[in-house]
Amino acid sequence: MTPRNAADTVRLKNTILRGVYNENLRIKSPCPDPSSGRRRKGGSRTALVFSGLFVLAATVLFVRFFPSMAPDGGGEPAAVASAAASSVSAVPAKASVSPLPTNGSFPVRQGSYVMRPYDSLPKDFNTDRLLDYSLILNNDMVRLSSVFGLDVQTIVIDPGHGGVDPGAIGVLGTKEKDIVLDLAHRLRDKLMESGRYNVVLTREGDTTMSLAERVEFANSGRTDLFISLHVNALPQKRANVIETYYYGPPTDAETLRLAEQENRGSGILTRDFANMIRKIGNTFKEQESASLAAAIQYSLFTNVKKYDKDTSDAGIKIAPFAVLLGVDAPSVLVEVSCISKKQEELKLNLPAYREEITSFIAEGTTRYLARRNLHVVKGEENDQKVRGKRS
Amino acid sequence: MTKKSEAKEAEEKLIVGIDLGTSRSAISASNGKSMWVDSYVGWPKDFIARKVVGNSILFGKDALEHRLSLDLYRPLKNGVIKEGTTRDEEAVKELIHHLISLVKPKKDNSKVRAVVGVPAESFKVNKVAIRKAVSDFAESLLVVSEPFAIAYGVNALDNAMVIDIGAGTIDFCIMHGTVPTDEDQRTVLSAGDYIDQQLYNFMAERYPHSDFNLNMVRRFKEEFSFIGDPERAVKVNIPVDGRPTKHDITEEMRRTCESILPAVVETTLELIAKFDPEYQDVIRQNIILAGGGSQIRGIDKYLENVLSEYGKAKVEVVEDPLFCGANGALSLAMDMPEDYWTEV
Repeated sequence: MTPRNAADTVRLKNTILRGVYNENLRIKSPCPDPSSGRRRKGGSRTALVFSGLFVLAATVLFVRFFPSMAPDGGGEPAAVASAAASSVSAVPAKASVSPLPTNGSFPVRQGSYVMRPYDSLPKDFNTDRLLDYSLILNNDMVRLSSVFGLDVQTIVIDPGHGGVDPGAIGVLGTKEKDIVLDLAHRLRDKLMESGRYNVVLTREGDTTMSLAERVEFANSGRTDLFISLHVNALPQKRANVIETYYYGPPTDAETLRLAEQENRGSGILTRDFANMIRKIGNTFKEQESASLAAAIQYSLFTNVKKYDKDTSDAGIKIAPFAVLLGVDAPSVLVEVSCISKKQEELKLNLPAYREEITSFIAEGTTRYLARRNLHVVKGEENDQKVRGKRS
Repeated sequence: MTKKSEAKEAEEKLIVGIDLGTSRSAISASNGKSMWVDSYVGWPKDFIARKVVGNSILFGKDALEHRLSLDLYRPLKNGVIKEGTTRDEEAVKELIHHLISLVKPKKDNSKVRAVVGVPAESFKVNKVAIRKAVSDFAESLLVVSEPFAIAYGVNALDNAMVIDIGAGTIDFCIMHGTVPTDEDQRTVLSAGDYIDQQLYNFMAERYPHSDFNLNMVRRFKEEFSFIGDPERAVKVNIPVDGRPTKHDITEEMRRTCESILPAVVETTLELIAKFDPEYQDVIRQNIILAGGGSQIRGIDKYLENVLSEYGKAKVEVVEDPLFCGANGALSLAMDMPEDYWTEV
């Protein structure tokens, strides 16, 4: 109600003034100078590495000496140990700088789904496959885009969240929706520079948009590529993880089974034709998504790593995100950074850093696009080039 | 220093309210002075330029006039300090210094108390940056969101909504008797600057052989902007091959001014719909338009019409769009109890 008399107004003003005061105290106090923060981090990093290694060593020892008491009920203690060890040996560079994967609680994302930690994947699952870009970057499987000479014209960039949904929020109050919106605008400008692509955003401003609406938006236009931008938030406050997702079947084993199932029986019936077309569509989308994801992840991670050695590479991942499934065009979802890390949050607030990140994503995307063109234009000659490079 | 002498000193202390805007910045002081400048800061490019302009730094209109001999900065693009380049931060600092020196007696070397309005939803780090920029000249300082300062200035503290159409941002804020939280505020990034650019594009499309720049376009906008049916045709003088020629830009003007409306309407409705249903009706009848964009002819009537479809609506335009932010910040500063100042 609107205040009726002077006393009411005075009381109202007093509460408001106190509020302003409190808010300013909050702004003033908990924000460390970024430079001093960086200095402090150097010390804690070494401590962390040591503690991480210690945890790993403790786990190995524990499993070895008390097999019956092993946490999984002792079914395969050796397998657990070797899995832990192999996850480290597969990524030796990471283990030395990042304390993350050793305690096995790694990529748990807040919210809708949970990715499995590396060491709880099935034994036959090859983690290398997810981490090795060269496999996908230089793969010579038949790419449908080159077979059909498909070109890219319209790129849709999807800044995650927005409006009532702030996305992840950092300790200093930075919201994911703001960061990704800014990144999206910058990325659009970057990609438009070449003049070859038409780039549109799913949301131009801070508006609420459901996943379904995003999918509909992408599918209603002539979308050729779909890039969704997000910022990660992890329970591990010191971690900065970069990862890129594309939609696909959850594990390799399943793909195999699926393929087996699909290939059973020799003849293809006419009524299966529609199904086959769909399958080709899926293959195309998956191939291109994977290759785009690899390109972006590669350039984003290798470049960010130069700035912050602590950045860990979660690689290219396959996950059932609704947006990625729904959009017909090749689509990826990039977690560009980790807002749950305070230093990273401070950096994300600097336009210069956002510009930098954008340029890395743009570089990855253009590299992917260039490769695609190469395949189409140069044909055999290019094949030889690629082969030469690999050997 | 004892508490008593501190309090005594405070009585004489100059209190200022500052509205840092993308396009214009304004200051109001407790000694009754108020000033504004265009938010431009320029440093001479070289020593010749320095001789020509006769000063080592220029602000506002002066800077704009001499822009050919200056490194010109508009440090608050999109309503926030552009970080990353030290020059921009320096420019903000100089701008604030300049504003304070405009209202402060020359001999007075003491620092002032300031309340500074920043865009709603600006990043927290940005608030910190503004604090840093002001702290050299102010003894104590409070940062508040811009639409909130406006609301405070026009005494719309309860069940009211402020829409501040600036150059860099349009800020929305619902007031309900407390300090607005993030949920009560929204920012839309296409505002005055966006209109300028759109208008420029439309005009360039229609009159490809005429010579005009963004600055002229902004002047046209400030003079002729309207929504709905034009009172009369908008005709402006633009040189073609050096000869001033009348151009009709009525349709372009209407199209650009109306281009921001969907976002404004949508955000307004969204914010109201989120509010306590019992008070939605009251808020709809208590909407205040501020900022340069509130001067677009017919925008208040248009909003009123659209909102009327949802129930009774009333949209008012503030009396002094240029100073309402600074004045609001000042009255907030004047009302602030002494105890609160000492801590911040």
